[in-house]
Amino acid sequence: MKIGLFIPCYVDAIYPEVGVATYKLLKHLGLDVTYPLNQTCCGQPMANAGFESMAETIATKLDDTFAEFDYVVAPSASCAAFVKINYPHLLKGKHECTTSKKIMDVIEFLHDVLKVKALPGKFPYTVSIHNSCHGVRELGLSSPSERNIPKYSKIKNLLSLVDGITIKEPERPDECCGFGGMFSVEEPEVSVQMGTDKLERHIATGAQYITGPDSSCMMHMQGIAKRLGKKIEFIHAVQILSAGL
Amino acid sequence: MSTQHTKAAKRFLHNADKAKWHDATFWSVRAKRDTMAMSLEEWEELRETASRIKKHTITHMDKYLEMFANNAEKNGTIVHWAKDADEFNDIVLKILRDHNVRKMVKSKSMLTEECEMNPYLEKHGIEVVETDLGERILQLMESKPSHIVMPAIHITQEEVGQLFEEKLDSEKDNYDPTYLTYCARMSLRNEFIESQAGMTGANFGIAETGEVVVCTNEGNADMSVAIPKLHIAAIGLEKVIPDYQSLSIFQRLLARSATGQPTTTYTSHFGKARPGAEMHIILVDNGRSSIIADSEHWETLKCMRCGACMNTCPVYRRSGGYSYTYFIPGPIGINLGMLRDKYKYTDNVSACSLCCSCDNVCPVKVNLSEQIYLWRQNLDSLGKADPMKKTMSRGMKTLFGHPALYNMALKFAPIANHAPRPALYNSLNAWGKGREMPKFAKESFQTMWKKGKIK
Amino acid sequence: MSRKEDILSRIRENIRKSYDMPDISRIKGIQYPDVIKQFEEISKTVGGKVVKAVPGEDINSIIKELYPDAKIFASNLPEITIASKNPDILEAHELNGTDVGIIKGQIGVAENGCIWIPQTMKERAVCFISEYLVIIISGKNIVNNMHEAYSRIKMNGYGYGCFISGPSKTADIAQALVMGAQAARGVTVIITE
Repeated sequence: MKIGLFIPCYVDAIYPEVGVATYKLLKHLGLDVTYPLNQTCCGQPMANAGFESMAETIATKLDDTFAEFDYVVAPSASCAAFVKINYPHLLKGKHECTTSKKIMDVIEFLHDVLKVKALPGKFPYTVSIHNSCHGVRELGLSSPSERNIPKYSKIKNLLSLVDGITIKEPERPDECCGFGGMFSVEEPEVSVQMGTDKLERHIATGAQYITGPDSSCMMHMQGIAKRLGKKIEFIHAVQILSAGL
Repeated sequence: MSTQHTKAAKRFLHNADKAKWHDATFWSVRAKRDTMAMSLEEWEELRETASRIKKHTITHMDKYLEMFANNAEKNGTIVHWAKDADEFNDIVLKILRDHNVRKMVKSKSMLTEECEMNPYLEKHGIEVVETDLGERILQLMESKPSHIVMPAIHITQEEVGQLFEEKLDSEKDNYDPTYLTYCARMSLRNEFIESQAGMTGANFGIAETGEVVVCTNEGNADMSVAIPKLHIAAIGLEKVIPDYQSLSIFQRLLARSATGQPTTTYTSHFGKARPGAEMHIILVDNGRSSIIADSEHWETLKCMRCGACMNTCPVYRRSGGYSYTYFIPGPIGINLGMLRDKYKYTDNVSACSLCCSCDNVCPVKVNLSEQIYLWRQNLDSLGKADPMKKTMSRGMKTLFGHPALYNMALKFAPIANHAPRPALYNSLNAWGKGREMPKFAKESFQTMWKKGKIK
Repeated sequence: MSRKEDILSRIRENIRKSYDMPDISRIKGIQYPDVIKQFEEISKTVGGKVVKAVPGEDINSIIKELYPDAKIFASNLPEITIASKNPDILEAHELNGTDVGIIKGQIGVAENGCIWIPQTMKERAVCFISEYLVIIISGKNIVNNMHEAYSRIKMNGYGYGCFISGPSKTADIAQALVMGAQAARGVTVIITE
């Protein structure tokens, strides 16, 4: 099984440690994992802003980059969801898309493919899970609160394998934090209000860390927390899962 | 880079207490809806079936409309067909004139709002009295609904009290909701008795029986047509469903989704006029027949106007109904507005973070967020794309399309971490309005990988 | 071409794809071990009152006891002897001022407290204009859910029927729930054998 690591642009530039944690964890689990060079972005920012066609060349390149792999694993639910859901119609009739079928968010991959049952590290802190919208409603990382289906949470299942961790969820556990890519700058007031409300609910759990599968949501909330001087840390879930490596 | 919605939302959020109240109020409606959804094992099956019945009915609409009209006529109802709003308004006016109507009571109808019927009739000398309490308050205030199910929710009880003091002669400074409701009840009683005609909208038209079904909590639709001798029902083409068994699915979903009640108080089936009275049904197209041909947006026709998508929408809850330029706000309003006039109502397309919550509450599974995404893709060709967003997207296309350029940019990006504050946080930086900028890492993942630092 | 034909032909031209009608009969709908008990509970939840009539008990005296201050009763039911207004005879507006309207329900629904009221009087206004409403229903006619209810309904010659669940209500002023918006301010359901 050949695993190609997709490290989306903003993770690459701002949160490289998330990429490092993903790589280390997959290696630790004995996988044949590599990072093909010359990858950049999935194209979601332009597409969500209304310029899907500007994402076509990027999508084609990404698809070629990962042609040889069995799975493409990305530590970012939203980017994985975009490739999975939007690439097929984006590239329809222009390029045969294979990545959409084999891309997975790292949480999904660990939970569903590797079925991880034990993890080496310790994380003796209280965390509040940030269920990102695309993780929940597009990738199915947890059961959406709107739906009457059996309750589950893949991220909770995995985090609870880590020694010493206390897991909380905020009230309104999967309400949007207001990042939304270009939305965050086109509707800054609403976006910041959504983020502030979300942040308060996370803080109210008493957690020391906010954790989730999407650094983009956390980047937004972190920006608000810093501005407001709120004392809470942010950490990608995969960093907790790879603790001690 | 700001739309009318952006600007109006900013004004809305300026009153922090009211904004917080608005969010909490609609979230509580969402929570009540959740309780209802979770109490029925068959909930998801109901949604799926409702969606499929609607898809079937819409794609066989000609057949069901004919059946509906024929059966209504068999019941003795007079059926009219209106191609657009103007034609609809003319038909209503003609019926009213033929019956010498001077005053008409009516229950809530989004269709008559869509056709702007009230101002038209008033211009022609007919007094129209809204009888849904919320709608009546707004009518007396000369204001517009901010939500389709709870139209006057943004008005405080003090404002209602002061309004009623002036218009209905209520006691001074008595702002008790029960008292004020009774004042409106007494005043409306007279209106029901004095009117020569009553109008209702329609939640459903039943093809098999030719009946119009109206759901209310107040009983105002029934009151509106139980006393006057003339009943006019306005119904959009897409409201027709096959039969009672289909109705049982929608009836179970509607109130649970809308307000979190197990049912509306009244589910009224109007099949025939009362003895000595007359009933008219006006079937209104007003663009609906063309929407069927729109492969991307035809499923909006499934909507039954429950308002659940508004209640769950984090943007609606934090920007209010008036921040949207179309009269129906929230996710469904963004889409319906664009279908009404894609040049006029583009300002609402920004009001979505693509969180997809609306898709998951919608009782008939309209793919609301996907449709908003699709509208965004069309803005450029409509000449309505935001120039700054376009420039940014072009920049990203260039940057991300050229790995060498991207890597170069990453190399220099950390310098921005040390830029002086005023250069970073100014009026051009929308991100910086309420957030600190993220810090670029000293070395990107890619750089570390190339240097062999990642093992 | 008539406007009707014009609209219908445009629809025909515009339909792109055809979807089949799903099989609705597969949906069973919620079931209750004791439909009457559930019906009583939900009726209270929706703001109604429930009274179980003892066999042989006179409905008139039950109603008198429930509404001791009421003066004007309206009904066309032969067994209701206290009524001074008859919706078969009066005009609709003449029913205004009725304290208690008394009507018969045909089907009760345990999932939501709905009672199917077919029009069986000349003026259905009696169901809405009365300050308070009494609905008499047989316990034998209470079903689990709306699917079961709708499978039993057949419209009669008046061509009007209505599900009523509790009193008229509104929350349009400050989200405060108020009973008695435009129609009945209170509803009592009398369950007979």
